[in-house]
Amino acid sequence: MAQSKRILVACGTAIATSTVVAIAIEEALKARGIDVVTRQCKAAEVKSLAPGYDLIVTTTPVPKDIGIPVIQTLAFLTGIGKEAVIEDIVKALQA
Amino acid sequence: MDTFLATLKALIDNLGATVVLPVIIFFVALILGAKPGRAFRSGVTIGIAFIGINLVIGLMWTTLTEVGQAMVRNTGLQRAVVDVGWPSAAAIAFATRVGLWVIPIAIVVNLVLLFVRFTKTLNIDIWNFWHFAFIGSLVAIVSKSVGMGLVAAAVAAAWALFLADWTAKAIQGFYKVPGISIPHLTTAPGVPFAIAVNWVIEKIPGVNKVEADPDHIQKRFGVFGDPVVLGLVIGLVLGILAFYNAGSFTAVLVNVLKTAMNLAAVMLLLPRMVQILMEGLIPVSEAAREFMKRRATGRDIYIGLDSAILIGHPAAISTALLLVPIAILLSLILPGNQVILFADLAVIPFVVAGFAPIMHGNIFRMVIAGIIELGIGFYIATAMAPTFTLAAGEAGFAIPEGASQITSIADGFLWPPFVFMLLSSWVGVALLGVVVLVLMFLFNRNPTQWERLAGAPEELLQPGAAD
Repeated sequence: MAQSKRILVACGTAIATSTVVAIAIEEALKARGIDVVTRQCKAAEVKSLAPGYDLIVTTTPVPKDIGIPVIQTLAFLTGIGKEAVIEDIVKALQA
Repeated sequence: MDTFLATLKALIDNLGATVVLPVIIFFVALILGAKPGRAFRSGVTIGIAFIGINLVIGLMWTTLTEVGQAMVRNTGLQRAVVDVGWPSAAAIAFATRVGLWVIPIAIVVNLVLLFVRFTKTLNIDIWNFWHFAFIGSLVAIVSKSVGMGLVAAAVAAAWALFLADWTAKAIQGFYKVPGISIPHLTTAPGVPFAIAVNWVIEKIPGVNKVEADPDHIQKRFGVFGDPVVLGLVIGLVLGILAFYNAGSFTAVLVNVLKTAMNLAAVMLLLPRMVQILMEGLIPVSEAAREFMKRRATGRDIYIGLDSAILIGHPAAISTALLLVPIAILLSLILPGNQVILFADLAVIPFVVAGFAPIMHGNIFRMVIAGIIELGIGFYIATAMAPTFTLAAGEAGFAIPEGASQITSIADGFLWPPFVFMLLSSWVGVALLGVVVLVLMFLFNRNPTQWERLAGAPEELLQPGAAD
């Protein structure tokens, strides 16, 4: 079995919206048979934690020059366009 | 029947929030349309979160109370109110008799106001309904009437919607979040401060040119954004002030280091416990979101979200980093202040995020507005602390022997809960209700003027501009 993909989920507090996003990602990808490990962090911590992760999903602006893909989205909070973002995440992980 | 009701009441009174809230959450989730399995898990998880939060608050409260008492003995520095942080405030608010009902109440208020077109915001940020519960709980305690507390919570929910509508275009323009508004009662109350400060600074030659570079600030002051280090350092300093004369060198060292580690632990553990609470609320908030959306279709609406989505912005982070040391200094020098700052040093980005659109992200100006809002906040918090502490007791949190009173920056420092508390009467709550309806009416008659005042960019104010 391939190693689980690692996703860093960022928001302002690492508590509120990132919990919603992290759990939604885990559930959605599990349903597609993709194993992921998520970790929540604050936007300010993204740069120092990023090495070792395959993807960053964030609800709030984070620095652009991190060297790994960043998806900034509110879809998991509003429910609008959620499927499309999940597709993006899957694509980003396969790349 | 009477015996049955009496038994039921006794049961509810004795079980406390860790049992009653899960049961209520289970039924609320079911009614909103969640699947029974998920609703059940949601309820149980929330109960567990409360037990966890209670443990951590106990550790924090005991540590800070000891330190506070020893500090008064040693230095005469009287600080009888400790800042236990917004996670504690939120847990307390949800667990009071008002908090138990806040989710259905705020949903109904929102749907009614949307239906009569008094608001454009659909507030799906269920988690932050705690702010309304907090206000309602304070009113219930002062007025000794749970009924009045519930009405106050409903009025507070309306205020959040008004503030969200008013600031929506400004927030959308500055933070690039189309279709979003922020009905968050930690962020929105700052807007009037920002308007006033900005107006004054614009008039002062020289000062109106001052800017500060966010990247530089983040590099230099980054340590103030790390809660664990902050907790450790504050613990060391407080520990030394409290225990430097605690006996032998070993005794002093043990006490100081224990205080530092305990407070560092609180900084890491408290948010983790709240994360569990959030996790438990997800099924409810998803169900509520779908429930509300079904009833608000075909309308041009803003989706109301948590201001956590804004505070990754460099302007908010940098301003907050600068305000952490300033706020600690203020807590020491402000005459009459009783508050010792601790857990909510991490919440300052929320307080300042609403300033940014008005001040175009000018950090110098945001810091000035922050100093004024927090400076006034120390006095609000000192005045509100006895009621805040009673609310914690009512919510079933264990209050240590000889405990200090408690507060938190969010929302213990802010004017909306204070105004509600001062007006804790039927006339007062009704007045606040009428005022918010009038404001909504005036806003909807001529939104452009209001939106410009809150810092909306001109391109979003043009007629026909995308919402």
